[in-house]
Amino acid sequence: MKRRNFLKGVLYGTGATMAIAGGFGTFNKLGSVKAEAIGEDLETTVFSSCEMCRNQCPIAVKVKDGKVVKIDGHPDDAAFGGVICARGNAGPSLLYDPQRIKKPMIRTGERGEGKFKEVSWDEAYTYISDKLYNVKDQYGGEAIALASRKGPHDWFFRSIGKAMGSPNVFSHEATCPMTRSVALDTTFGNEAIAADYANTKYLISIGRNWFEGIHVAQTRAVSKALSNGAKLVVLDPRFSITASKGEWLPIKATTDLAFVMAMANIMIDENLYDKNFISQYTEGFEKWAEEVKDKTPEWAEKETGISKEKIIRITREFAAAKPQAILDFGWRTAYTPNDYQLRRAILIVNMMIGNLEVPGGYYRTKPANFLKDFPDQAVYAKGLGNITQPSFPKASQGRIDGTGVKGTPGQIIPAYDGAVGKIVESILTEEPYPIRAWLVHRFNPYISLTESPRVLEAFKKLDLLVTCDVYMTDTAYFSDVVLPECTYLERSEPIFDMSGLTPKYVIRQAAVPLVYSDTKPYWQIYKELGEKMGIGDYFEFKDMEDYMSQQLRPTGITLDKMKEMGVWTPPGMNAFYVRASDANASLDNVLSNHSKKIEIFSVDVEEATKQGVPKYISHPQPEEGKFRFVQGKVAVHTNAGTANVPILNELMPTNTLWMNPVSCTKLGLKDEDEIVIASGLYEHKGKIKMTEGIRPDTVFCYHGFGRVSPELRRAFGKGINGNHLIPNEIGEVGNTVTSTTFVTVRKA
Amino acid sequence: MDKSMIAELYLSFAAVFHRPNPDVSDHLEELVDLWSEVIPEIDEAVQKLATFCREFPPGEQRLNALWEHYIPLFETGEVEASPYASVYSGEKGLVLGKEAFNVQQFYANCGYVMGEKSGELPDHLAVELEFCALLARNGQSEALMEFQKKHLTPFLKSILPRIKNSDRPVYSDIATILEIRQLNLQKEGDFVG
Ligand code: SF4
Repeated sequence: MKRRNFLKGVLYGTGATMAIAGGFGTFNKLGSVKAEAIGEDLETTVFSSCEMCRNQCPIAVKVKDGKVVKIDGHPDDAAFGGVICARGNAGPSLLYDPQRIKKPMIRTGERGEGKFKEVSWDEAYTYISDKLYNVKDQYGGEAIALASRKGPHDWFFRSIGKAMGSPNVFSHEATCPMTRSVALDTTFGNEAIAADYANTKYLISIGRNWFEGIHVAQTRAVSKALSNGAKLVVLDPRFSITASKGEWLPIKATTDLAFVMAMANIMIDENLYDKNFISQYTEGFEKWAEEVKDKTPEWAEKETGISKEKIIRITREFAAAKPQAILDFGWRTAYTPNDYQLRRAILIVNMMIGNLEVPGGYYRTKPANFLKDFPDQAVYAKGLGNITQPSFPKASQGRIDGTGVKGTPGQIIPAYDGAVGKIVESILTEEPYPIRAWLVHRFNPYISLTESPRVLEAFKKLDLLVTCDVYMTDTAYFSDVVLPECTYLERSEPIFDMSGLTPKYVIRQAAVPLVYSDTKPYWQIYKELGEKMGIGDYFEFKDMEDYMSQQLRPTGITLDKMKEMGVWTPPGMNAFYVRASDANASLDNVLSNHSKKIEIFSVDVEEATKQGVPKYISHPQPEEGKFRFVQGKVAVHTNAGTANVPILNELMPTNTLWMNPVSCTKLGLKDEDEIVIASGLYEHKGKIKMTEGIRPDTVFCYHGFGRVSPELRRAFGKGINGNHLIPNEIGEVGNTVTSTTFVTVRKA
Repeated sequence: MDKSMIAELYLSFAAVFHRPNPDVSDHLEELVDLWSEVIPEIDEAVQKLATFCREFPPGEQRLNALWEHYIPLFETGEVEASPYASVYSGEKGLVLGKEAFNVQQFYANCGYVMGEKSGELPDHLAVELEFCALLARNGQSEALMEFQKKHLTPFLKSILPRIKNSDRPVYSDIATILEIRQLNLQKEGDFVG
């Protein structure tokens, strides 16, 4: 019989699928391996770093019997104090999730139909390579776009696009704090400025929410300041967890710049600013003084809804605490198209109290190469080495987002980040030219970009969409090829420079072997893809051990030592503030611009936007019956990344629409009512959360829900995807805009 | 039933619950023949399988049709019936739980270890069925009985209803057949067949 041939062949080892022990090759004879060895009760700790969000906190992974059983913070890193957040704790549930992607997949049905087949890595690489070269031949390398969540994978991922001659490589920053980066860059000449929360005495947040948008070291630092008696003031239309820890000012959304300009007005009027600092280190102050001279507290009260008395009191308190006071520069998606001018104004008001390079203020981060210019610090200057690459071909076209074009806002958009929302527009409108292929690495444009339905339309027009991720995300679901990345607990990767007030290096190393054996680390994926595409020269390292060793060589730290320590800071070095002991110390090394001044008036910004100092633009407020729609982060999820992670989904499977009881009553709604939210073009279903913790003219939901990939089984169809309702408006410096949309709400 | 037949039966089920591959896909008719020959009262399921085989002749189309259902059923994302025993035995529905270590230990005690190239977790449904095939082939009937009792049967009780309820062609029919086969074994009080 035929079947006897097939099954018998397999069973006794004569068939095509035969292996040593017979069967489908799953088993081998045990041979010399001792049976008892499998049950050995081994317990170890592996130092690595978390990746449940992009903060890369150093961690200590407890491994028992080859399995991750617990994750703690690294015990020797004082900034983290041995703790991690809830998301970090949920790492093992991601690692052992049966819903992860396990093999490369190629789409077999219509796009978005969810039909795929699993293929070998070689097949996947060949498919991608062929399609990319087709696009390049037909439309040019610039028709290929790449977008990723910013991180150490960029060096590898981006090499593919750059080697194909594409200028269109993007990070996710435009959907995150890019307006802040632009403000830092155009004020100080570099983005590497951080806040010394732990030592501050007065902290004003403009929507920054350290207790829900968690960065463990920063959240701990703010907590430390508060327990030392620092005062916290929070401007937010919503009563966030952070607002609950201080004085909550429920400001009208989009009017924050009015508050900040009024602070400057009061400080000038009452002589509360640091004149010496302003004259020694800044330029353009008089233009700023002119700009804010009519931005009185009375004017600001009308704009912001916050009483002039409060604005005056807070400004006086803030100035009295100088220089150990921080008006926080924020870390979130832009509110308005001109959000970067708000960020610039924030930086300027900070500089008015001279809080740069002193404890409790702002500081330039201190990587090793920075220290070499300071004679008493040069001994700590052990910089990481770079891995060299041949030069990339010059792109034959400019970027689709106009980055780098003089005399336009593109002049000040950071080329490393770009305006990622522009990819969707270029696919759909073919302006300035069409994008035909999009490679996405651990980024989910469907959830992270505004106007999600338009993002789906764009996906459908592509010749090639490739997603590399751990889950079948919404974007993966619409992709042609899905590449399964292993999790951070299964991979080693380049040493990170996480310098703060001292240099600091952190390692990520595999804590356990691959759970699903056909998943791979990103560096291997892009190296192998590069080799398949004939661009292997850009990946001149043998493996990650080799890569890390090359990085560490100039530091004199061995890889074994780094693995053993997990975190390295120069022994004996104290926190270094350039002006700690000399208020007049030179800031030439801190400022990376040509002027070597803090540019309150910026020639570049003037050229790019005609606003060399921030100017106030009044944004419309919602009329009766409409609400301003705002979004924010929650402590147990990371934006688009974790809605499907088992434990985090269990903690918070869905979101709701926050609405004030006054507004609920007007609309005849009560808590938990099913509703429809409408923003004009789009509608979304949801549920009401009736709460005093929001202004009556504003509604709010947490970001990252409302997933459309049925293969995110736990998260699918649950909650509101705020970005479904918000138009894809690209702000002045390429930023996403999230707080200018008005909605109506009705009972479902 | 002789040991070779028992082994072939286990192997036939292992074959379909492994990831789809051209060899098994092209020999699906032969597996159906085997089941209809030796397992009573499975006519309806066999009919459905025969219809599928007619609709999708051997080749790429059939293979893709199998993938279409195998992926959401077992593999990625929705995972309607996770193929790992650990998922059903505590530890919050995650893989590589205690059961995975227990079956791995059992394999070792019987003289087997999973090959490095297999790339599968030890408590995958297909792996456990394939292991039973090897035990049956080798005449290790006591071990087979013990493995059935301690590991395979409780696992099948959890997973087969899920596969059946998925209503996915081929897989739900084969789950029905495997369930009937298990019931028959229990009725006969003879786990080894
Ligand atoms: S903040 Fe939390 S999730 Fe993010 S890296 Fe740190 S521990 Fe992980």
